[in-house]
Amino acid sequence: MARFSRKTFLVGAGAGAGTLVSASHLVSPGRGAGQSAAPAPVEEWVPTACWIGKQDCGMLARRIDGRVVKFEGHPAHPRNLGTLCPKGMAQIISVYDPNRVKAPLVRTNAKGQTGEWRQVSWDEALDRVARKIKEVSSDDPGLILWQKGRSKTKEFYDTAFVKALGATKLGHGAYCSDAGYRACEFTVGVEGVLHPDFRHTRYLLSWGWNITNAGGNKLCWITWNRQLLEARERGVKVVVIDPRLRGAGPFADEWLPIRPATDLALALALARELVRQGYVDREYLRRFTNAPFLVQEDGFFLRAGDKEQVWDTATNSAVPFDAAKKPALVGEYTVGGEKVKPAFQLFTEHLDTYTPDWAAEVTGLPAEKIRAVAEELGRNAMIGATIEVEGVSLPYRPVSAMAYHMCQQELGFEAIRAMVMVFMLLGAVGAVGGQSIDLGGWKVEAEKFDKWGEVEIGDPPYNFYLKDSKFFPINTGSPSIVAKVMEDPKRYGVEKLPEMVILHMHNPLGAVPDRKLISSMYAKIPFVVDINAWLSETADYYADVVLPAATVEKYEGPLGATDQYVDAVALRVPAMKPLFESRGEIDIYLDLTEKAGLLYGEEGYLEQINEALKLVEVDEETGEVTRGPYALPLDRKPKVRQIFDRWAKSQGIEGGVAYFEKHGVYVKGPIEAAKYFGFAMDPPFGGLVHRLYGEPLLRYQEEMKAKGAAEIYWQDYTPFPTWRVPTMDRSPSEYDLYLISYKLIEHKQSRSSFIPLLAEIARRQELSINPKTAKERGIDDGDEVWVESHNAVTGETRKVEVQARYTETIRPDTVGMAHHFGTWTHPEAEGQGPSPNEIFFSGEGYVANTADQSFHVKVRVFKA
Amino acid sequence: MPRYGMVIDLERCMGCRACMEACKVENNTPEGAFWMHVFRFEEGEYPDTKVGFLPRPCQHCENAPCVKVCPVQARYMQDDGVVLTDFKRCIGCRYCIVACPYGVNHFNWTPPEDAYYLDWDDPDLEKATGGAVPPYDNPDLDQPHGDRGTLVAGGGHYDGTTEKCTFCVQRLEKDLLPACVSNCPVDVFSFGDLDDPESAPSQALRSRRAFRLKEELNTSPKVFYVGQPPPSEEIRPIDIVSSTGGQ
Repeated sequence: MARFSRKTFLVGAGAGAGTLVSASHLVSPGRGAGQSAAPAPVEEWVPTACWIGKQDCGMLARRIDGRVVKFEGHPAHPRNLGTLCPKGMAQIISVYDPNRVKAPLVRTNAKGQTGEWRQVSWDEALDRVARKIKEVSSDDPGLILWQKGRSKTKEFYDTAFVKALGATKLGHGAYCSDAGYRACEFTVGVEGVLHPDFRHTRYLLSWGWNITNAGGNKLCWITWNRQLLEARERGVKVVVIDPRLRGAGPFADEWLPIRPATDLALALALARELVRQGYVDREYLRRFTNAPFLVQEDGFFLRAGDKEQVWDTATNSAVPFDAAKKPALVGEYTVGGEKVKPAFQLFTEHLDTYTPDWAAEVTGLPAEKIRAVAEELGRNAMIGATIEVEGVSLPYRPVSAMAYHMCQQELGFEAIRAMVMVFMLLGAVGAVGGQSIDLGGWKVEAEKFDKWGEVEIGDPPYNFYLKDSKFFPINTGSPSIVAKVMEDPKRYGVEKLPEMVILHMHNPLGAVPDRKLISSMYAKIPFVVDINAWLSETADYYADVVLPAATVEKYEGPLGATDQYVDAVALRVPAMKPLFESRGEIDIYLDLTEKAGLLYGEEGYLEQINEALKLVEVDEETGEVTRGPYALPLDRKPKVRQIFDRWAKSQGIEGGVAYFEKHGVYVKGPIEAAKYFGFAMDPPFGGLVHRLYGEPLLRYQEEMKAKGAAEIYWQDYTPFPTWRVPTMDRSPSEYDLYLISYKLIEHKQSRSSFIPLLAEIARRQELSINPKTAKERGIDDGDEVWVESHNAVTGETRKVEVQARYTETIRPDTVGMAHHFGTWTHPEAEGQGPSPNEIFFSGEGYVANTADQSFHVKVRVFKA
Repeated sequence: MPRYGMVIDLERCMGCRACMEACKVENNTPEGAFWMHVFRFEEGEYPDTKVGFLPRPCQHCENAPCVKVCPVQARYMQDDGVVLTDFKRCIGCRYCIVACPYGVNHFNWTPPEDAYYLDWDDPDLEKATGGAVPPYDNPDLDQPHGDRGTLVAGGGHYDGTTEKCTFCVQRLEKDLLPACVSNCPVDVFSFGDLDDPESAPSQALRSRRAFRLKEELNTSPKVFYVGQPPPSEEIRPIDIVSSTGGQ
């Protein structure tokens, strides 16, 4: 991929003609030149929110004589309490980066190569995009793809803008943790993956949690770390399950160096051991799950009418599940001549082969360690114990896991289901000290729970991400799958492909696997609009129009600000005017929809904003709209600030948006136990019956088979998580190492490796390799090596050259590369080495049964 | 008169290096200069590996070798214990670099206008920044500070001078904590008056076992470490950040 020399697009005099201009190198006036000595400087502190990361930490911008000189953490923001991670602190240099896109750009050369651009006015740029929107919409607005990377306000972007256009929306979830979200939505009806009730937990499985660098369920950094340290002061034991120790740093009380992609095997073995050792919370299973439901020999529930049946040991008969006094969990019964077993009975049988010795072979962990962890989990769970919280007696099960991105693997949906089931056996989901899933409470998403159990698998033609298809009944919606579809639409039964894409803070060529596949997708989409602060690699090669977005200098929100225990909301308030000709995205979308004729009126962007912000209420049944006192009028275009003023007032926040301009964050107060703990809800868990037995998954499998789907799509749709060897392990034996990737604390996806202050402390890509493994291959610390991957399904190989770095913190059969680097448009990105996304594959064998991306591949490593 | 010191809790440190960035932005240190440095290291052999982190600001030694060797008394300790550099006096001989056993000094080889990462000559940018280099230039740093009322705060003022951590003297004078202390996401640092028994560092030192770096050299650092034993001789550095200051 070519590098291009730094070009600066000047705004104002000389640039109006729309000609390409290059940088003039004036002599610098030197440091401090802009400062006058005489009058006392005016210092202001403007609250705002971090832009560079994920969780929008509260910030205070220090502004002197109108110039922002520093961002500091906002002391009142529950997530970061007056502090910032290195990225948040360093972002100030990127706000002022002269390499930002300064004005709207229109491409002048062919795609598939470094872009050449014509600078245009916002009017012209938006006219072009609006024209295209109208054109595509006249056929089918669903062929406009709105593709986000990071959306900092669902209400304005994912919901209102997408609905106003009628576009098809895709997120980044397939690259994030959505295999886990699907598993939790399906199993217990809550949206998220796994995190502990830190305040009360005593034993924590840090399952792939990159503690010192990133992640953990739903958040970015800082918050979980603070809570972890508090828990450690109380004596929590942390067991790290990870092929690599570096992420956990010094916080591992024990390290289980698990073989990549075998987490499902470990979870199954733990479940087996818990059952064998007698650590089962029978009461929870009976009362709140489908464990007692009677299963017929065909694998489906015994039903009378519509009602699932259980065996009531009080009456010795089969009764509807909600009428039983003492439902059996084990045994075999005969009902109407049919042999039936409770689902839990089947579960114990299913687990039988998953012994610790078996798991030791698969995971590379010692069998006695697996047994010991199961015993510690079981003992620490204190099944049967209760504790009083806010005057209510609740189950006390102080064992938990933190798991998030590790679920993006081929068996990820199954693995997270199995991990949740471990905590279900212990009765720890939604319990005090136990397993939480969503932030800010046990928020039951009954619609999602039902939806994933009632997918109607259709017949072709399918939409371009294969929604409700025989390929992925439970479908996260993956851009990589769209790319596969676009390679061969007939194969997937797709007729209509995206005509246009609007990229919102996303750089597919930089940030996601697999680069070759994603490139081919963007090459095919006729019209590509990129809304971004920098000229991304995707824009460089494929954008038709680039719209410069402001970074931190805009109004944006509402921003969730909960730390899981305190509820709060914040706004991003601009501490300075948008740099150059950049604009906030809400601003951009208001003008864009206006030009496309989609702003005003009952179906327009303004009304969609009203709905999303709950400024109006729509009766679900009648469709009747009740307008709140702060609803936006539908016939005039508001200023962005005005929208937030109305929203804030509608929330009862005195002063409206001025409150946030002064205080930044509005703390609503502690989240009460009745909202936090699933058990404390009325009824518990919102009345959902947790799916230990995933009956719908069996139905999907049978329907997928009947519709002729290949085994690779239906093989993991099983009612209980079932181990199989990952597809990648079919690669020839010379591809003897696993490649994994991980985040660095210094960087964020592909939008930071060029930021000089961060590049300075994390300068380039390195291949983490165990010294023994390296020496066997004649590789010295610091040597340049080739890392070659192999696709076990297609036979394709790819390779990148990278510097090897010895570390004893990684398994000998595993190598790793950070998720960042490998970009080229920004001059600071030169020489940073490759991205692992260049050699990961996507598509069959490298996605989960939910279309979620797998970040594993077999590689071989040899000296360059 | 306080005697400022610092306690660093190694049981909490995540090695994130936010303190390095906070120091850099607050003090406008030039490219390659890290007044605060965080070591990351590992020891042992797989699977018995350990990972550790150690932040290392200037130790503000009570018995500072750098003060002793400075031929022009540009490097001095003020009454509150903070060790500072008078940038207008410094002749750039770099004896302090030689003398300091902790490697905390940075020598400015590069003229300031070339020392700040990007080429800031951009008329469009200058409209927003007034030409400040770097654009986050902190005006506090050009003001006189400290007992001598001279140019002692911030970095990169003149090439040919040596600089180091000042415990953010410009912030202390406003009753603010040093930037690293204030910013740490996980409260690793306690900072305050070592002679006040109720100060945060004094309390930490009363209740926990502490060590100092290179104790045997009798530099008498005012920076103490708690929470972990001193790093062993077996540690191997990882994630090395190259700095150009000449330490």
